[in-house]
Amino acid sequence: MEKGKIRRISGDAWMAYALLTPAVLFFVIFMFYPIIYVIMMSLYQTNRLGILMNFTGLDNFIRVMQQETFWAVTGRSFVWTILAVIVKTVLGMIIALCLNVEFLGRKTARMLFIIPWASSVPISSMLWRWVYDHEFGLLNQTLISLGITQNPPVWLGTPIWAFISCIWVDIWIGIPFMALVFLAGMQSVSKDLYESASVDGVNAAGKFFYITLPSIKQIIFIATLLSSLWTFNDFNTIYILTRGGPAGSTDILITAIYKSGFEWLRFSDAAVMAVVTFIILMVFSLFYAKMYFKGDEAL
Amino acid sequence: MMRITWRNRYKFPVFLLTLALLLFLLFPFFVMISTMLKSSQEIYVRPPYWIPLALAFDNFIKVWGEYHLYSYFRNSIIVGLGTTFLNVIITLPAAYAIARFKFYGRSTILYSLLAMQMFSPVIIIISLFRIFVRLQLLDTYLGLVLANTVFTLSFTTWLMFGYFASIPKEIEEAATIDGCSRMGTLIRIMIPVAAPGLVTAMIYAFITAWNDFLFALSFINAQPRMPLTLGIYQFVGRWSTQWEMLTVAAFLALIPVLVLFFLIEKQLVSGLASGAVKG
Repeated sequence: MEKGKIRRISGDAWMAYALLTPAVLFFVIFMFYPIIYVIMMSLYQTNRLGILMNFTGLDNFIRVMQQETFWAVTGRSFVWTILAVIVKTVLGMIIALCLNVEFLGRKTARMLFIIPWASSVPISSMLWRWVYDHEFGLLNQTLISLGITQNPPVWLGTPIWAFISCIWVDIWIGIPFMALVFLAGMQSVSKDLYESASVDGVNAAGKFFYITLPSIKQIIFIATLLSSLWTFNDFNTIYILTRGGPAGSTDILITAIYKSGFEWLRFSDAAVMAVVTFIILMVFSLFYAKMYFKGDEAL
Repeated sequence: MMRITWRNRYKFPVFLLTLALLLFLLFPFFVMISTMLKSSQEIYVRPPYWIPLALAFDNFIKVWGEYHLYSYFRNSIIVGLGTTFLNVIITLPAAYAIARFKFYGRSTILYSLLAMQMFSPVIIIISLFRIFVRLQLLDTYLGLVLANTVFTLSFTTWLMFGYFASIPKEIEEAATIDGCSRMGTLIRIMIPVAAPGLVTAMIYAFITAWNDFLFALSFINAQPRMPLTLGIYQFVGRWSTQWEMLTVAAFLALIPVLVLFFLIEKQLVSGLASGAVKG
């Protein structure tokens, strides 16, 4: 290429490209190529080994979208995400408010609150499976001995309770992140604001709604957006607790993709759902990136 | 002072509420500790009780040897270290390039790094499986290391980029004037200054690999190659589960990851979210 003809590529830029090569190569082979491959799979008939047979255009999409389960699973993905994120936000806020008060043992409490997030998700999901055990689980025993109920539900055995049980575990994992982020936000709010509000006789609730909440609005927004993505993508909790059962009642898109591919060997169906999920996440993340880079001078 | 009286009034109720919330949220861990010290006969007793009749410490010995926990630990350590190492050698030059050079395509790379953090690996798991079959990576450590690296690399690069970008250019310029080459400044100046970031990135990569279940489930069939998460999942039987073994294994597997997590928790939170707010 002749120097300075279209765009002068300086020695520095060549150096940058050289430094980026390993990372770019890596992403191309193990991220972009697989994405292209999944898109191909969704447009081809595949055999039980996942090998492309013949091109069928959008036939796979039409077939999958005619199935009722596809829509049930997609709908459930959104219900799952929205419900979980709302509860995570509310509980995270309550914990952050608690930890924002200077009581004895606050530092220890903060550490203990983090444990569910710090723990390995697959392992805590297995623990929860035991906690939920209908006959021998200590959760039901505790409910009975506290006199809350004499007939505790079969947590993972009925469609509705299984869904609630799974979503609770996902919420339980996600609360600490929310709490920590909100707490960090609250601690960056100027103390003077609260003091002058106190002078004006504003009560605690007033301070929360007129000072705290507006000050950390943006933090709440980013945290809920991130949390929505993680919740939408959750695989471990559902797969380990119920494998999507009973009777598919706890399947969301992510688990349905996995099961279609690895358990039922319907690779094209899995690919179609993967492409749909990919598009949904793409919209999500473009939105996130836009917010992130808004007015950022680093670019 | 107004502030102190305001705080005092709420101190005790807040303390009680916090305690109640903690008891509620740490419930599964209490169950874990209660179960892991029970004997196998005590697990399936109705009604279940909290305090084991005799503390069955030999559960630890049994699970380590007889139940292959030793091998699962070894595999998780190998995969974790491999993922960490691969992350470092790929991410350092890449992050440095993005932080310090102006070049065409830079913002595209930044956007993609951010976008890639949003994707669930499940989306590409079926095609990754096909690729791994062809490259004969099933049932290998390398396969797990590669898969885990793909899904940690965007965050570690992003994190290191942030650290490098925050180092004043003057430090580097001074080194250049003193006769340091570009590579020299990277190795002698930038990496030491960004060391806390590098440690965070390394621990993050290690933890993510340690906690991986999906890749192990998809790519590993041979028990001698199973990492902890998948190995412990083998305790869950179709008809009955040896919960005392599972909880002991869970306890031992959680300790390293909890320790590591607490080391980087503050940087992780700011890396994930509050960094976003300053922008």
